[in-house]
Amino acid sequence: MKKTITIPLGSQHISLLEPVKFRFVCENEKIIDVSSDVGFVHRGIERACATKFTFEKIPYVVARICGLCAITHSLCYTQAVENLLDGEVSLKAKYLRILLVELDRIHSHMLCLSHVSENAGFEAMFMQIMGDREYVMSLQEMITGNRVQFDYISIGGVNRDIDTNISSQIKKNLTIIKQKVYDYIEQFENNWSLSLKYKNIGKLSLDMAYQYNAIGPLARACGLETDVRSESAYLPYVDVGYKMITRSNGDIYDRNMVRLYEILNSIQMCENIVDGLPSGEIYTKLKGKPNGESLVRLEAPRGELMYYIKGSGKPLLDRVRIKTPTFSSIPAFIEVFKGSDYGDAPAILASFDPCMSCTAK
Amino acid sequence: MKNLKKIESSLETIKNDIKEFYDPKIWGFLTLNGVCIDIETTQIQWIFAKYKAIDEIVMFYVDVKLSQTVPTITDIIPSAIISQREIVDMFGINIEDSQKGLYLDEDSLSTPLAGCGI
Repeated sequence: MKKTITIPLGSQHISLLEPVKFRFVCENEKIIDVSSDVGFVHRGIERACATKFTFEKIPYVVARICGLCAITHSLCYTQAVENLLDGEVSLKAKYLRILLVELDRIHSHMLCLSHVSENAGFEAMFMQIMGDREYVMSLQEMITGNRVQFDYISIGGVNRDIDTNISSQIKKNLTIIKQKVYDYIEQFENNWSLSLKYKNIGKLSLDMAYQYNAIGPLARACGLETDVRSESAYLPYVDVGYKMITRSNGDIYDRNMVRLYEILNSIQMCENIVDGLPSGEIYTKLKGKPNGESLVRLEAPRGELMYYIKGSGKPLLDRVRIKTPTFSSIPAFIEVFKGSDYGDAPAILASFDPCMSCTAK
Repeated sequence: MKNLKKIESSLETIKNDIKEFYDPKIWGFLTLNGVCIDIETTQIQWIFAKYKAIDEIVMFYVDVKLSQTVPTITDIIPSAIISQREIVDMFGINIEDSQKGLYLDEDSLSTPLAGCGI
């Protein structure tokens, strides 16, 4: 039997500023087995939602699960509740919801790409992308009033409309970001640190993706055509120009490329929304109290987010179940690590774009 | 709820039901869910979504008493291990091959969602 050594990555590690621990069993440099520990900062939000907060307040509670995809959490919950109430959300509100979700996706993907650059030792690229990301953050602040914890989604619609000044600023900033993303693509395709170094590293095959139920950019990078934006009718994604981005090799390079082209598609969708925003109200008063079961999925930046709720006609819900993308992807992460070199583990981890804040909900 | 198909099963048949139903190239396994029915009983749900279909969700469910053991499905769906362990931590339900301690620390409140959170 060959000699093995166990090396921990985390619970605090420079490649990821959130607490997660992987234990790698290595034979020389090769990882042959992996175990994980994700339970460092569990916050009991599911329990709080069913015992402390009435259903109208929960959108603001679940928005606190994650700073990066706060909109996605509150929207997914809100749509689950709206299924059980009487009334219809206006088309304008649905368009504005997509606008914010896609802005969220743009800055979240930019954050991931910057971390991948940092792990490649390309510090300047990291700072460049983080700086450019401010164009999106400032738009979110302008639209919602907050830079991070945007309480924009409400049951029945959204809390704020956009005027012509905001519309023109959105288009202006998106045009700048679009050009920047073309520059990133040039770098990620041709710069040695970001392209050749990451080709064939951290590969997930299509068969493994099916077997381990990969989701989000991790799945699409190896050719698994799954995206809740095309598998759910709750938001009119087809009307605003959604296009699925897939690759076939499933390595770090392809995950980067999927995210880069998804940013371009998100920018296109945001521009289409601003140009073709329907008229009407942004908020509809929905009647009743949730009674029954509802399950809604939404494509968060890291993949499929799911909310299941059960109510019995009372202000407090019986159950709020939150299935976050990173948590359900951990078995797939572990399979990707197996067979990789330990030296590549931080870069592979960064390319997964894990969100431990969502995981420890 | 539209497009959610609920299929009742039992502890004796659930594994076989899922084995017969599940094709990994057609269905994505979403998660295992627990819903408290009463202080002694939790409904365990196995949830699947169909690839390339609009909101097509299938849920198998079994009502489980705290003294019973739920069979593991990790030999059919390896990724289910993570949600099985989450259910063990959150509800205190026994699931085959699924140890406590993935999600909650030793000094945490144990099984916070058991008994309807009471």
